[in-house]
Amino acid sequence: MARLLRTTTALAGAALIGYGIYGLLHDPYITDPLDVLVWAVGGLLWHDALWAPLVCLVGAYLARGPVLRGWLIVAAALMAVGLPAVLRSGEDHGNSSLLPLDYLRNLLVVLAASAVLALSAAGIRRWLRRHHRHRVE
Amino acid sequence: MDDKTSRRRPYDLPLPLPPDALRRGPLREGTFPSSLHEPRTAVVLGRWLGAALLTCFLTGLLSHLLQQPPTWLRDHLPSRPVDGYRVSQGLHVVSGTAAIPLLGAKLWTVYPRLFEWPPARSVAHALERLGIAVLVASMLLEVFTGLLNTLQWYPWPFPFRQTHFWLGWLATGGLLLHVAAKAPLIAAHWRRPRPGLAQRRAFLTAVTTAAAAVTLTTAGQSVPWLRRLDLLAPRRPDLGPQGLPVNRTAAQAGTTTAPADWRLRVDGPRPLELTMDQLLQLPQYNSELPISCVEGWSASAHWSGVRITELLDLAGAPNGAGVRVTSLEADGPYRVMDMPAHYARHPLTLLALRVNGQVLTPDHGYPARIIAPNRPGVLQTKWVSRLEVL
Repeated sequence: MARLLRTTTALAGAALIGYGIYGLLHDPYITDPLDVLVWAVGGLLWHDALWAPLVCLVGAYLARGPVLRGWLIVAAALMAVGLPAVLRSGEDHGNSSLLPLDYLRNLLVVLAASAVLALSAAGIRRWLRRHHRHRVE
Repeated sequence: MDDKTSRRRPYDLPLPLPPDALRRGPLREGTFPSSLHEPRTAVVLGRWLGAALLTCFLTGLLSHLLQQPPTWLRDHLPSRPVDGYRVSQGLHVVSGTAAIPLLGAKLWTVYPRLFEWPPARSVAHALERLGIAVLVASMLLEVFTGLLNTLQWYPWPFPFRQTHFWLGWLATGGLLLHVAAKAPLIAAHWRRPRPGLAQRRAFLTAVTTAAAAVTLTTAGQSVPWLRRLDLLAPRRPDLGPQGLPVNRTAAQAGTTTAPADWRLRVDGPRPLELTMDQLLQLPQYNSELPISCVEGWSASAHWSGVRITELLDLAGAPNGAGVRVTSLEADGPYRVMDMPAHYARHPLTLLALRVNGQVLTPDHGYPARIIAPNRPGVLQTKWVSRLEVL
């Protein structure tokens, strides 16, 4: 039973991939499917050859302690989502309701707020540990 | 992450081991010191990311079907719930955004596996790894193009909508293939081991916090009670002309000034033409309906105007007839829009002339626009010039 389920899932996955590739190759609007391939491989290389090694190096040698690591993870996520808006909000795209906020200020505010929260968490941790040690002594 | 559970199958051809001299750099053992590059962390993150991907796939498919229904489905699309598309497309963008930190964390966890030795033990193993490449490449491109589309930023040479749609199939297929290949490993690490690992708990807490942070600071563009936290989303539902965001402006569509002799043409068994004064003399109705954009934002507004169903009756349309709506705009993929009968006959569906108590501005579709329940924003045609009974 488990084996049947596993085989069916694998076949369904292969079928979906096949359908997706067929669609990419035959869609009338996608005039050059090679462009998509170039960007897909480019994304893979960007992540696997640049971003991931950088994160591993920072994690192994620079970012010590769970609180700093945790904050860096949160900050990276906020930057990934917020930075495109910051980069784009300076452009005049002729639509005042698109990107209507001060994104640089907002991103800095959110990063600062998360840093304050992380610092408080670190403070509480340290206090709890000291407290605990006193009691044990 | 030892794949102890995989057995040699008679149909699986083993591949020769490459010479050990090639095992350099990150291919050596012990390159990655963290203890979190292990299956339990990967399973926990994979569950969340898988749920986000499936949510995106299903809501995306729904959006695609609503925008471009195949003929057999056209007359069966539901006009209720009124807020359906608002919820489903809001969910699409919310889960896609939350997937960004989840994807980053999942890929970091399994990153050492990229350098496993030997690179391929057998043909099946090589195919499995190829499937992972398809999954990772399509997911990276999906979240990237999806995020930038919400900003209407298109730095790539291919069309967004079609590519995003087809890559969704590749990503979901890749996920199914991956789950099937890793099933024994997933099952073995499905439950929390005791005692737990403090480092893992800290890492997963940080990733959850990251996902929560990006969700809380962007979801306000569709979730009303999160509006005050809407700090990083490309839209705010209350900011725009007449307190409402605009997807395509009148300047972009070339419809800043409506022709002085504008008349609404209604073609059908009894064709007619109506001036603005004549339209205003017809019974006016109010609808409270959202504009729900495919880019994820949505905003509710009070619309008033003439019911489409009454205009169709005036033109002598039979009950089951749909309507084709044409806009004044010169081009654009949504200049002509087809509306199936039960949307057209819905009492909330209006040819709106006013929004929030004011005459429409050009950006919101002056002289007249369509507003209907449970439809993507691009089908709420603005600058309407003609209705045609189908």
